[in-house]
Amino acid sequence: MGSSSGQPEFDYLFKVLLIGDSGVGKSSLLLSFTSNTFDDLSPTIGVDFKVKYLTIGEKKLKLAIWDTAGQERFRTLTSSYYRGAQGIIMVYDVTRRDTFTNLSDIWAKEIDLYSTNQDCIKMLVGNKVDKESERAVTKKEGIDFAREYGCLFLECSAKTRVNVEQCFEELVLKILETPSLTAEGSSGGKKNIFKQNPTQTSSASSSYCCSS
Amino acid sequence: MASASRPNSLEEDDDDAEEEVQHFDDFTLASSWERFISDIEATCRQWLADGPRNLVEKGAVAMEDSKNLFKVKHDLKNVEKSYCMEFYFQIDDNGGQQAGIDNWNSNSHDLQLCFGVKDFLLIAPQSASGVLLDSPESSKLLSSVAIALSNCASLWPAFVPVHDPSRKAYIGIQNMGTVFTRRFEADRIGSQVPVKLMHLEGLYELFISKFVYSGVDFSMHNFRVHFRMRLTYQTFPYDEEDEENDMDELMDDKADNAEHHGSESRNKVHWDDDCPWSEWYSAEDPLRGFELVVTWDDRTVENTMEMAELENASPHEAEKWILHPILSPYLGDPSRGKRIDFASQLLCLVEALDMSFTAQFMEDFVSVEYPSSENLKTSLVIPPQTVLDRVIKDLFHEGSKLPDFTKGEHKLSRALKAAPLESLFTQFCLHSLWFGNCNIRAIAFLWIDFVREVRWCWEETQPLPKMPNDGSIDLSTCLINQKLHLLAICIEKKREMNEEFLDCIGSEDSSDASVSMEEHPKVDKRKNTSSEADLQRKRDSSIAEDTSNRLRFERKTESTNSVDHSPTYAMRRGSAGPVGTMMLLKSHQRLHAPFTQDPPLMTEDMHEERLQAVEAFGDSLNVPGQLEKDILLSDMSAFKAANPDAVFEDFIRWHSPGDWESFEPKTTEPSAASNTEGSTDQWPPQGRLSQRMSDQGNLWRKSWHDAPALQADDQKPLLDPNREGEKILHYLETVRPHQLLEQMACTAFRGSADTLNQTNYGNMKQMTSKLEQLYFIIKSTLGGLQRNNLPDRAETVKDLRRLCVVFEHVEKLVTVAASLHRKFLDASRLAQVIFSEFYGIYVPLMGINSNDEENKSRTEMEVSRQEVTLRERQVVSNLFSPPSANQSWRKVLSMGNLLNGHEPILREIIFSTGDDVNNGIHYAAAADVAATSDRRGEEIETHRMYVSGTSNDLRVALSVTSCD
Repeated sequence: MGSSSGQPEFDYLFKVLLIGDSGVGKSSLLLSFTSNTFDDLSPTIGVDFKVKYLTIGEKKLKLAIWDTAGQERFRTLTSSYYRGAQGIIMVYDVTRRDTFTNLSDIWAKEIDLYSTNQDCIKMLVGNKVDKESERAVTKKEGIDFAREYGCLFLECSAKTRVNVEQCFEELVLKILETPSLTAEGSSGGKKNIFKQNPTQTSSASSSYCCSS
Repeated sequence: MASASRPNSLEEDDDDAEEEVQHFDDFTLASSWERFISDIEATCRQWLADGPRNLVEKGAVAMEDSKNLFKVKHDLKNVEKSYCMEFYFQIDDNGGQQAGIDNWNSNSHDLQLCFGVKDFLLIAPQSASGVLLDSPESSKLLSSVAIALSNCASLWPAFVPVHDPSRKAYIGIQNMGTVFTRRFEADRIGSQVPVKLMHLEGLYELFISKFVYSGVDFSMHNFRVHFRMRLTYQTFPYDEEDEENDMDELMDDKADNAEHHGSESRNKVHWDDDCPWSEWYSAEDPLRGFELVVTWDDRTVENTMEMAELENASPHEAEKWILHPILSPYLGDPSRGKRIDFASQLLCLVEALDMSFTAQFMEDFVSVEYPSSENLKTSLVIPPQTVLDRVIKDLFHEGSKLPDFTKGEHKLSRALKAAPLESLFTQFCLHSLWFGNCNIRAIAFLWIDFVREVRWCWEETQPLPKMPNDGSIDLSTCLINQKLHLLAICIEKKREMNEEFLDCIGSEDSSDASVSMEEHPKVDKRKNTSSEADLQRKRDSSIAEDTSNRLRFERKTESTNSVDHSPTYAMRRGSAGPVGTMMLLKSHQRLHAPFTQDPPLMTEDMHEERLQAVEAFGDSLNVPGQLEKDILLSDMSAFKAANPDAVFEDFIRWHSPGDWESFEPKTTEPSAASNTEGSTDQWPPQGRLSQRMSDQGNLWRKSWHDAPALQADDQKPLLDPNREGEKILHYLETVRPHQLLEQMACTAFRGSADTLNQTNYGNMKQMTSKLEQLYFIIKSTLGGLQRNNLPDRAETVKDLRRLCVVFEHVEKLVTVAASLHRKFLDASRLAQVIFSEFYGIYVPLMGINSNDEENKSRTEMEVSRQEVTLRERQVVSNLFSPPSANQSWRKVLSMGNLLNGHEPILREIIFSTGDDVNNGIHYAAAADVAATSDRRGEEIETHRMYVSGTSNDLRVALSVTSCD
């Protein structure tokens, strides 16, 4: 994992957004992913932001991950961050049912309203699976929701780091499989649709191993 | 000569010998005449043996306008002349000899139609004209063919042309296989057709005369003949009208030549006046006109009286209507520059974009010192000042009402980094497409004036037209649109500040009851009450959710709390009212929500700056949270001001309810009606902060300690309108030409597509999906623009040119769809059927990969005929508008069956009569005829006449079957 901020070369820059109710562990998830640590963080004020460099296969990726505050007061402010995001991660707390129901009541609607990217990859993440005894949302419910909204699904724990990396990797792989998104994120300019050859577009979907 | 060289010919001769044992052909002694005949015979045998399917495989040529008619050719040589023999044959699985002809098949060959035959031989001399000049030669030729055909027992009819080609005269013969022979004859009168023959009675009598003794008075006797008629009508060609209009206009133009633009739209009613693009240009109607073919089916006529009646019959009485739209040739013509439409102007804009990279500032293109401006000036014309004034006036001064920004928006419009159709910048872009010829100098000229006008609005605090002055910045739009939006908001804030300043000096404003009097003397950024309400509704939905609830509490507050705690209550500043039944923790008072400052609006470049700052400084400075911390601080200050006795926990309960873990049973919380008094009893509320909020060194708590109690109006504004506005104007005034042009290109493409998207073309699914496809292509092509660096400029410009070609195609399709839709408003089925047909022909031509070179050739656009149902006839007949006085005096109405005053341009009639084969005349052949003629078992067609006439020529073809 080449996370040195002084290195400007990368093949793709992808923007990923974390949304969900206040206190579901968005910031913890991000911290767990970027610096392998877990802290009881104070609530995010407005928006936080982290950069992570990844190398997947031959491709150098730069992930700009925006961590938004769940509080309603910041919602109008954070709405502008949906723009141009190639990936959006909806996080809920498996021990708090309301954080799950709010995804369909509030957050999914926010995405429809503010996301400018038709093909943007959505992902549903149930956090805090370490508190299995307090679980209030079953895995099945999560899968059903994900199926209905057409998004990826994973349960993880920022605390034990279970599935944390997989969560971001899976999202990135999916983005790489989507030609319109890779074209946007590509640092080498767009692909030429007039000369695009059909085999080229599918090559992105071949399997990569994540080196991070 | 050809047959001699063919290897088969020998075999053929052998076959002959075998088949006709009794007969011995001694070719060594044969005359040239006999050789000629045997040559024909050999070829015919070959063709007969092959059969149609094999001939097609062997490379028979398909006729151009027919799907199933083919021909094979063979060259013959007589002593003195060469001839060409052609065999036409039809391949269709169903139907017999005459099936195609009965249906008035429009694809039929001329001779098929004339003589009612299916397969036939045509022999013509190989001369320039292809016509035999004297009749002895032709009859000799025909006899040769006849002998050859009977030798090989073929039943094909054979024709030879006679006289000069313009007469289209033929003679022909057909062996019917028995005692019968059919003879054919056709001729044409090119001018001065006798009046008698222009009318149906005359033609009827002409036919009768062919089989009745000449002495008989036709009017006294009844002769039963079969009659079929096909009439073709055509709408008046568009050009004709146009010419007249042009003439008128020429007169007018002499009067005022000065205003070029005016004369274009003067006096003319265009077909597309209410189409969305007509605001910018007028398109030629893609449908030039219509041809209507009306068919009367087979009927039996007995006398001339009936014929006269038929001539007066309305086309509406006919059995069948077939409509044939005539498309304008421009549809198949890819040549650019000739026509003016969005695609042509967008192409100009693309060229301007290409040039924009050569200069630092827009002014450079207009200035005299610009190095290459000498050769620029000659080709790149700037329109006169009057035109500029008109455009600026249109942009800035017409209609102060805020337009509907979602107008014309496609669901994919937002995916383009542009601006809404009716917004100021889009209108600027669309205007610049038509400003001059959209060259870079003209654009620079217009832009400089545009920015000047925008600055004037800023300096004079005048609202920016066609821009909303509220809401949040839509970052999916292009940067200039974002900037203009933010500027409009800044102007509005500036205006409010000025107004309030004046208000404060002038009078005491006490409209807001919940705000204390002390705020007024202060010069502040206070919004007026209504916008404050807006703001609060937007942000604090928790309060706004139930205003009724809130009002009740306000009343309650007045009656109870305000009396009890009046001193503290008076201290509240900037309160927007209590939040539900919430009470403060440390003081027996309602928790009030404060008015808060608007979150600062940011354009994408401001976001970008922050992003870069974060990257540069990393996590150490915690930069990203800075602005939000300011907002949080501002909220805390406002909250403190509104709730003087509040503690940190109170703020969290309002601001981040999730971080307050209440010990109270949940049931008491939500429904206000049941527990209004309950909540007051349960004071103080029980609960505690969440773990993460109560941590040591929590940023929120720290901020709370730092926040002074200041209502929103007294705080330092999060957004300084003066500073931001000035920055925006600086951006507009110094924008790099290519940055401007890139944004203009995106916006112009979207604006044009949105304009087309507004077109009403009814329910044509292909069009809808094609437009959607257009948006996708625009999106992916423009994707490289408006970034920090354009990777490959030449390649991008090339792509954009291709995009213009695609745009042109879609634009044409839209005009066709719109034109069809408006013509068939009450017969949408027809519009849709014709459109799908056209679409099916057109779309393969427009492939996305079309290169400039490939596309040079011009394609003839032809859509097939459509049958009109009874219900649709009225709509179709309305297409034939009654001719104006001008149009009708030119025409000599010589034929009947008028349709709305339109005379048929072509009348075709088939007369036929038959004899009952059982009546004794043809006794010997009765059985054979019944076997060969599958059409009428009982009757054989003895006479058939095909008449085809326009208002000044007449063509008659006769076929007579007789017993030799």
